[in-house]
Amino acid sequence: MSSSSSSSKGGNGGGFNFDHHLRNQWITACLQGNADASTTDPVPNYARHARKTGTTIAGVQYVGGVVLGADTRATEDTVVADKNCEKIHYLASNMYCCGAGTAADTEATTRLIASQLELHRQAVGRARVPVVAAVNMLKRHLFRYQGYVSAALVLGGVDEWHGPSLYTIYPHGSVDQLPYVSMGSGSLAAMAVFEAGWREQLSEADARQLVYEAITAGIENDLGSGSNVDLCVIKDGGRTVEYLRGYAQEQVRTYRKPDGYAFPKGTTAVLAEDFRKYVQVRKVVSDL
Amino acid sequence: MDALAPHHDPTVPVQLGTTIMAVSYAGGVVMAADSRTSTGVYVANRVSNKITRVAPHIYCCRSGSAADTQAISDYVRRYVHELSLELNREVNVSVAASLFRELCYRNKDRLTAGIICAGWDAQHGGQVYTITLGGSKLQQPFSIGGSGSAYIYGFCDAAYRPDMTRAECIDFCVKAVSLAMSRDGSSGGVIRLVCVDRDGVERQLVAGDAVPRAWQG
Amino acid sequence: MSGSNPLHYNGGVVLSMAGDNCVSIASDHRFGMSQLTLACDAQRIEPLHDRLCVGLAGLATDCTTLAERFRYKHNMYRLREKRVMRPRTFAAVASSTLYEKRFAPYFTEVVIAGLELEEDGKRGTSGADAMTDAVYRPYVCSMDLLGALMVTDNFALAGTCAESLYGTCETFWQPGLDPDALFEVTAQSLLAALDRDCMSGWGAVVHVLTPEGITTRELEARMD
Repeated sequence: MSSSSSSSKGGNGGGFNFDHHLRNQWITACLQGNADASTTDPVPNYARHARKTGTTIAGVQYVGGVVLGADTRATEDTVVADKNCEKIHYLASNMYCCGAGTAADTEATTRLIASQLELHRQAVGRARVPVVAAVNMLKRHLFRYQGYVSAALVLGGVDEWHGPSLYTIYPHGSVDQLPYVSMGSGSLAAMAVFEAGWREQLSEADARQLVYEAITAGIENDLGSGSNVDLCVIKDGGRTVEYLRGYAQEQVRTYRKPDGYAFPKGTTAVLAEDFRKYVQVRKVVSDL
Repeated sequence: MDALAPHHDPTVPVQLGTTIMAVSYAGGVVMAADSRTSTGVYVANRVSNKITRVAPHIYCCRSGSAADTQAISDYVRRYVHELSLELNREVNVSVAASLFRELCYRNKDRLTAGIICAGWDAQHGGQVYTITLGGSKLQQPFSIGGSGSAYIYGFCDAAYRPDMTRAECIDFCVKAVSLAMSRDGSSGGVIRLVCVDRDGVERQLVAGDAVPRAWQG
Repeated sequence: MSGSNPLHYNGGVVLSMAGDNCVSIASDHRFGMSQLTLACDAQRIEPLHDRLCVGLAGLATDCTTLAERFRYKHNMYRLREKRVMRPRTFAAVASSTLYEKRFAPYFTEVVIAGLELEEDGKRGTSGADAMTDAVYRPYVCSMDLLGALMVTDNFALAGTCAESLYGTCETFWQPGLDPDALFEVTAQSLLAALDRDCMSGWGAVVHVLTPEGITTRELEARMD
């Protein structure tokens, strides 16, 4: 249970930088009309403004591999900030990871672990690293930050040691291994589909269909989830990955003015205009 | 913690609202646990395994925060393994329990972990150690833990006998855990059993439809 | 309440849109303290090189600091690598800069507009001979105050009237806009949203980046 040492300036030492902590506490206190920073609301107002993935993510194991699925909605408070975001993140050639929670945390955590896994792979000189290696790296990272890095993950992968495997990793760093899993705000809807439709020895096609239905259930029934279904199939001992971005469009925009809105040139009143043309300097001849 | 907080709220930790127990008998130990893992009121895992291997002949039953107890048992498994390599023999159960105690005591302000460490070793046979929330280590002939244990103290005190056989211990455990599961909302699912003795380890499972039923009104 | 959110204290909005072989980035000019307007010449858009601009919306002090840090990081990169940053490279740098302060953040949201050379392997913007013949792909992205990157193929925005802007952009934007049409769509989307926001406005500017050069137009906007 160690804490990483971080340099306070520049940030090349790794770890997070807390330089702005007191300043931010003071700013928040002042804006709340409250000069005493110690009595300020401990959950800062701006935290709501961070981009979240109120999400449905899910995964299913089948005989030859795993199928991961995710919706594609990202929200900022009550606004849909992104209608087609990518929630199935790359970890290694034989594993992918769905993320729910704060968008910045799921992206940064999976990118960090992806690079550590590649370094590990090169260090041991193998074609693939086992999925448990990724699980351990992720759970240690999340446990170290005691749930403050709010990333809820569904990790799926295939390796030559354990075959297909599927894990869920919670923000506090606990891990479950199960044949079918779901996470995020739409996980109840997705789990309902799994509990009704899952059986042992699923074929790939059935597994795909089941995950698709589970994500759709999330999109339809959970306000935090929406838009499209992304799927990712990992199989063939981790050698083949089918990343099906936009596997299904569930919430297509119903009406759009056929020719759009055309603004004739000059519609907008312009006060000043300036054009800076690029010139290319090919050769500089010095007289000196 | 708000018990009705949405299960996907990342500030709600995953809890092993649990019933765990371990019973020693002449020649070994029997451990039992329910299989429910919950976040708030949502069952995150209904077939979880709360009896974790620490060494080939030492296991621990985990209750409290899932993240904390998984991390602690990861550390202890590592230390015990290291020690067994150094000593070139299996580590005693008491040593593993002391490692649990050390971690729980040193980090007591940061951890929510109630652990029962049990196992068999050649020197002292089957043993059961309870590691409390504050980090003390108690050796007991049998031990119960987790939120569900509150409902079965009386039953266990009445039903326990020091001269039980392995089969009787298993029966005792299944009865006790099933009683707790029926009364405690955060215990449920199946009953997992681990028996450790001179001959090794045996895992057993009592499926949900095979769990004995007591009076249900 | 916008009053207690540092991101909304000084007001301001940035918008970027993708066109056909061109990209636009626009912002308003207001600088205020809550409801009080102090100045109407705020510059929120920082050109980093000929084909890359970064727009910053949020707490003015952090916008200034970040603009300087980004310029510093880009200059160091240019000295070290003898080329300019590709937009997606810069987006990664900006994202890490913000995420480093995950638990004590800058109160700034970032919008990036750039033109990316179509051939992936080719070096930045130097070296290629017929620069203007090269095909560029618009690169538009935004990130929240923690650095969550969101790359889009239509528009990206940040600031106090984000909600109204999502509506206008969603309605007016369409694929394949040429530089002139892109300007009109960007300007009209921005002006319409500004009219419904009292924390932004007081003049606006639209830059359109094309392979030939940057066109900058100051807009006539309501000054109330």
